[in-house]
Amino acid sequence: MSLQNIKLIFRREMRDQLRDRRTLFMILVLPVLFYPLLGISFFQIAQFLREHPSKVLIIGYASTEGSLPELVSQDQFAQPLRENAKMDKVQLKLVPLEKLAFVRDGLWPDSGELNSEQAAIVHMQIRLLMRRYHCEAAIFFPPDFFKELGEYPNRFRDHARLAGQTEQAPPEVPRPVLLYDNSSDKKALAHARVDRILRKWSSEVGQKSLRESNLSQLAAQPIEFNQFDLAKEEDRINTSLWSKILPFVLLIWAVTGAFYPAIDLCAGEKERGTLETLLTSPARRVEIVLGKLFTIMIFSFVTAILNLVAMAITGGIVMTQLKELAVKADVGPPPFTSIFYLAIILIPVSALFSSVCLGLAAFARSTKEGQYYLMPVILVTLPLILLPMAPSAELDLGFSLIPVSGIVLLMRSVMEGTIGQLWPYVFPVAATTLLCCYFGIRWAVDQFRREEVLFREGERWDLGGWLKHLYRDRQPTPSFALAILCGVLILIVKFFLTSSIDVPTSAAAIKALPFSSFILRTILAPMAVILAISLAMTFLFTKSPSRSLQLGLPKRLSLPAACLLAVALYPLATALQLLVAKMYALPPAAHSLLEAFQEKLGEVGAPWMAIVFIALLPALCEEFAYRGFILSGLRRSGHRWRAIVLSSLLFALAHSIIQQQANAFFLGLILGYLAVQAGSIWPCIAYHFMHNATAYLTSDLPLTKQILENNVYTGSVLFGGTLLAIAILYWFHSLRCGREAGGAAGASPDALT
Amino acid sequence: MAQQGSSAPMIHVHQLRKEYADFKRGEQIALAGISFDATPGEVFGLLGPNGAGKTTALRILSTVLQPTSGTATVNGYDIVKEPSQVRHQIGFVSAGTGVYDRMTAWETVEYFGRLYGIDDETLQHRMQKIFGQLQMDEIRDVLGVKMSTGMKQKVSIARAMIHEPPVIILDEATAGLDVLVARSLIEIISRLREQGKCIVFSSHIMREVERLCDRVAIMHRGHILATGTIAELQQQYQAADMEDLFYDLISEAEEKLRPKTTSF
Repeated sequence: MSLQNIKLIFRREMRDQLRDRRTLFMILVLPVLFYPLLGISFFQIAQFLREHPSKVLIIGYASTEGSLPELVSQDQFAQPLRENAKMDKVQLKLVPLEKLAFVRDGLWPDSGELNSEQAAIVHMQIRLLMRRYHCEAAIFFPPDFFKELGEYPNRFRDHARLAGQTEQAPPEVPRPVLLYDNSSDKKALAHARVDRILRKWSSEVGQKSLRESNLSQLAAQPIEFNQFDLAKEEDRINTSLWSKILPFVLLIWAVTGAFYPAIDLCAGEKERGTLETLLTSPARRVEIVLGKLFTIMIFSFVTAILNLVAMAITGGIVMTQLKELAVKADVGPPPFTSIFYLAIILIPVSALFSSVCLGLAAFARSTKEGQYYLMPVILVTLPLILLPMAPSAELDLGFSLIPVSGIVLLMRSVMEGTIGQLWPYVFPVAATTLLCCYFGIRWAVDQFRREEVLFREGERWDLGGWLKHLYRDRQPTPSFALAILCGVLILIVKFFLTSSIDVPTSAAAIKALPFSSFILRTILAPMAVILAISLAMTFLFTKSPSRSLQLGLPKRLSLPAACLLAVALYPLATALQLLVAKMYALPPAAHSLLEAFQEKLGEVGAPWMAIVFIALLPALCEEFAYRGFILSGLRRSGHRWRAIVLSSLLFALAHSIIQQQANAFFLGLILGYLAVQAGSIWPCIAYHFMHNATAYLTSDLPLTKQILENNVYTGSVLFGGTLLAIAILYWFHSLRCGREAGGAAGASPDALT
Repeated sequence: MAQQGSSAPMIHVHQLRKEYADFKRGEQIALAGISFDATPGEVFGLLGPNGAGKTTALRILSTVLQPTSGTATVNGYDIVKEPSQVRHQIGFVSAGTGVYDRMTAWETVEYFGRLYGIDDETLQHRMQKIFGQLQMDEIRDVLGVKMSTGMKQKVSIARAMIHEPPVIILDEATAGLDVLVARSLIEIISRLREQGKCIVFSSHIMREVERLCDRVAIMHRGHILATGTIAELQQQYQAADMEDLFYDLISEAEEKLRPKTTSF
């Protein structure tokens, strides 16, 4: 690799992009103009909102002439009730009770005593009245409400005097009705304002009554707390809001900023015919990819930072002005020191996004096709960005191993100032991100080495023709794409199966099922789906089913070796499972689900039957699919370990709970390795069977309980088992057949530089 | 290895075969094992209708595509084993010209010169010379997007010559050029031949091939139907001119293929 060439390509691409007005506008100019414009329009809208009046209909109000605090004075609420200027905007329309037909019929709008027909009539009349006077909320005072309220203290006193002599409940305070409609913001605002005023009025009525009966004020408002904010001055203003908004904005723009240049640099260059000339120059494909990657990275980084700064400045100005306008806002400008740290964290993120976008863009044959890929990219990234937004999410080992999510949490902790305690997680986050970067770049380079991708022509595609092609030109073993399709198909069909045959998804549902249908729905049906899909694809789309499914006989001794390996590795597998359980806490629902599953399984007639259901069936069906069809298809890409890792990922995704997924992933790695090394699926079936059988047989042993309680496998068992496992794995490593098969396919892409 | 006598082939192609998968038609054979040689100071023409496999052959020679089987060497370097050296030996001009829209003629040529590792002083000197030779001085600072096809093709040739390669490959380079520009391009090619370059030229236009090529290979559906100098071919096949010869050969080949094609 020549650094000189990478620099040359990088500089040319930079110059090229900087001369492209569309890219510059989208990536650099738009954000800089966007936020100030947003800020300006915010003020416009805020102004509009502040001046918005509410109109409220008041039915049946009667002045109490001093016996109670006044609620209404003329067409407004009484002055002492209005806490701030906003409340001056509430206009009232007073309507006497007699005006309403339903009152004349002796009906109240109070919901309790009306049948549905009456209620409909009452509500309709009130709604009509509100519409006539353009009111957004209404208060209904029942007939004689104010009279009864005024006489209430006396009636209560009479009741109290008779206390002990009568069973009668104390008299009730009559209830007015607040009628509202929150279907629009305007109406909801009126409701909120009226609600506040009424509460204040009610509290004043109560206090007046206490004063008159010489009772302590404590009875109405027991204790009031003074509040004091402990956060430091500079933290107090903002952090919670900014620490959520800024990482989100930063990452979304990092994706967008990487995407558009990537499309122009790859698909655009293909379209303009300049890529072919570049490929005939001495620059190697890795150099071309890296040169382009750095360009895209710069754009991704600068776009994100520009957005961040523009947003921070605009946000800051808006917040200060809001404060000057005496609007209560707890948010100030974001602290600039944290922006600096965010910028540093952004570097690996933009590298990650850039490599993904570059690979996608290389795949697209035209810029138009490339544009279509933006949505899928956003759809995949968005959940990863939003997942850590949950209030309970905190930077821990579990989160730091999830790409993008770990970064978001790291950014948040920097902004919230908790990085002082959480800094050790910087390493797993960085490792995860860099690993993803590495795979992203490898993928992008691979795209540049594939002839069918570089010289794809815009041919018309139709489903029928494609299926015909799949069948007519089927090869001895499945293709890479078919393998992925098989994995995805299994996932989708299993998903629909869950709803169509009513697979129990809660502990209660499992308990309610008879044993036979439990087995049918949770084990037999999913296994049948997996087996059916993989066998159907094998016989339809490959010429040599026995090679696709790797049905050839394995090397001697590899079957017992695989069985032994399964037992030897079991302690380690359990330890890993416990570690995962520690990192990603199992939700209680999932926990009880697993328990119910175990319990139900206990109803089986004979232990050997349980072993058939839980060990033999999954071992056969899942191995045919994942280590058979899928793995041999994935291996066509030439990279042995990539095939193993990808097949394990698909295998893991077919499980529902994250603990099972992690478990299945590790299991998949071992099984994939066995399949590749032994060149046969039988050792995998043996291993898988032994693994599941061991899990079932040991689930009731005191040893397992001990492990679960102490969270560690007894040291010597773990150590001995692992040592034995390493020895067996070494034996598998020395088996040759795996490498010969992989070598032929792997030769071509590596030779092309 | 690279130093060989002028009579030894500069390009040696042996049983080159290329297959690829096609959605509609299944496994396709783009090249069915072609062989030819080209020597320095010679213009070698690949003549054939569209889809004959000319572009595929030239792309394999320029190491952009990998052959399915067979070998080829350029100036002694193997295209599969030493692709990087091979790329130093050739200048590639395609029908699409491959000129960057947002770069000037000067910048484009300079960029490729640097990629070939030419030091600045030599590069400046050579660029002055080539821009003079090709009469490109007035389009020096014109952006690619504003150039006519003829101008672009000149830039493309300048780019292909900048590292003074012994081999220049022109893939349908005259496509889309007007008569005047095509003529001047042909003059440029003649001059390059005089300099002792080995030139591989693909086209489907008889006139150009007749004027320019020392030897031609007539291609059809991945096969070479005939190779030789124009005089030899005319004599051998008793044809009055190139166009008749070409037509006869292709129709004959089509005739032979027909029963096979229908049985597909």
